Amino acid sequence: MAFTPYDWQQTLRQKADYVEDRLREGSPVVGLSCREGVLLVTVRRAQQQKIFEIYDRLAFAGLGNQSDLETLRQLAVDFAHAEGFARSPQDVSIQRVVGVALSPAMKRSFSDPLRLPLVVRGLFAQLGDSPEKDLFYMLNYDGEFSLGYRFGVAAGTEGARAAMERVLQEFSQKLPTREAAFEKALETWAVGRCEALEIKEPQWRAVLAEALQEGVVEAALLERESRRDRRFRFLREQEIKPFLPSAL
Amino acid sequence: MSYGNFAQLLEAHGLRFPPWEAGVPPSPAHAVEGTTVIAVKFHKGVLNVADRRATAGNAIFSEEAEKILKLDDETLIAIAGSYAAAFEAVRFLQHSFKYYARSQLQELSLEGKLSEVSRVLSRALPGALQGIGGFLPIVSAFDREKNEGRIFFYDVMGARFESREFGAAGSGAERIRGAFEYIVRTKGPFHKMKLEDALAEALLLLEIAASLDTATGGLRPHLPLAKTVTADGVTDIPEETLRALQRALVRE
Repeated sequence: MAFTPYDWQQTLRQKADYVEDRLREGSPVVGLSCREGVLLVTVRRAQQQKIFEIYDRLAFAGLGNQSDLETLRQLAVDFAHAEGFARSPQDVSIQRVVGVALSPAMKRSFSDPLRLPLVVRGLFAQLGDSPEKDLFYMLNYDGEFSLGYRFGVAAGTEGARAAMERVLQEFSQKLPTREAAFEKALETWAVGRCEALEIKEPQWRAVLAEALQEGVVEAALLERESRRDRRFRFLREQEIKPFLPSAL
Repeated sequence: MSYGNFAQLLEAHGLRFPPWEAGVPPSPAHAVEGTTVIAVKFHKGVLNVADRRATAGNAIFSEEAEKILKLDDETLIAIAGSYAAAFEAVRFLQHSFKYYARSQLQELSLEGKLSEVSRVLSRALPGALQGIGGFLPIVSAFDREKNEGRIFFYDVMGARFESREFGAAGSGAERIRGAFEYIVRTKGPFHKMKLEDALAEALLLLEIAASLDTATGGLRPHLPLAKTVTADGVTDIPEETLRALQRALVRE
């Protein structure tokens, strides 16, 4: 059977629609610079981890199919460690992980009409020595990516992403503490959630409370000041609890 | 493919470990070697001390070599022997542990880390047999399950042994072995000592090793290196502390 340019375009569009449909209701992820480091926050179903350590100063969070998140994560971890050994840990940067290792491979996979597309939208964060040097890369299922400073989000729809960015735009001008950043991240998550599900005039705490009936807050910090080489750690329950609707 | 295996990842990326080919004929050239390293327990964990000397044959190659390195945030390795082979092995192990933890989403157990050290030694064996690539590590770790510091030493093929109180490797180590025993029998076990006492004993042993072995730098003119591993992770002993002990211990 002949494969015409028309078929090809049609296939890409169908693939994009297929992925967008599946991402729409995905739980957004929020990344935010704070004094103590870089914070990543999302709400997940109990068993499914969404935030991952990639390298000493790199973390990844995303939404989409768990198996596709896993594919992306594993590729990033493999690349980072082979590079870190072959050269040095300082040469492992988010720019190389996303721009060199992941993006072209995702693009190839997405434009291959015979392959199932990855259902995933990812947020990569790199901790800098100072907050101005923190970097956020948003990576889309088609391999396209964009760079952000101070904050980054990944959400199920374009509208949700825009709404979340509006929340963070002004807030992130002043460097927040971890506590303030965490609370804002929860609000941003809820705003994204409302937008994607088209809930009108939302009370963000109520939306979060409802989501927490089935889900749990997952939050991790890349610590700026630490004696440890590995800067990634999950926030402990006692660091999360005071900010949840049930505690207020 | 075994999951989380760093050696296989390197092969897949076309990287060699160890980087040199086996089968090179023995060379009269002297490889750079690190000398005496010491590990002793104290009541909170394990203390490592090492002089800063690296030698090539009977030449002093460096007086600022670092022979105590961090494998991860709760494991130290002290190395004696071929510096190139050991340093490369340490880089390999550091990445191997991190790679396992991050790719498998669970930490590598202490037992797993110790086996990995054995495997690395057996990979370095061809070099060791040629007389230029052998090294002897002492691994000090804080065991979170037992809540105590532990010391492990290896032979050049990778056989692992655990030591109750102390470990030492390198050209000066054999000469001070009896002194460790003497300290344990006369002053009590290292694992009950306070850090300052264990540190003073270990530094004195290093100074004695230097007086009996030309390849060991001892406490002067360059300060030795000392690190501890405890429940709080790896900590450097500050230079001022070492300098004060250097003054007290070195006989003019």
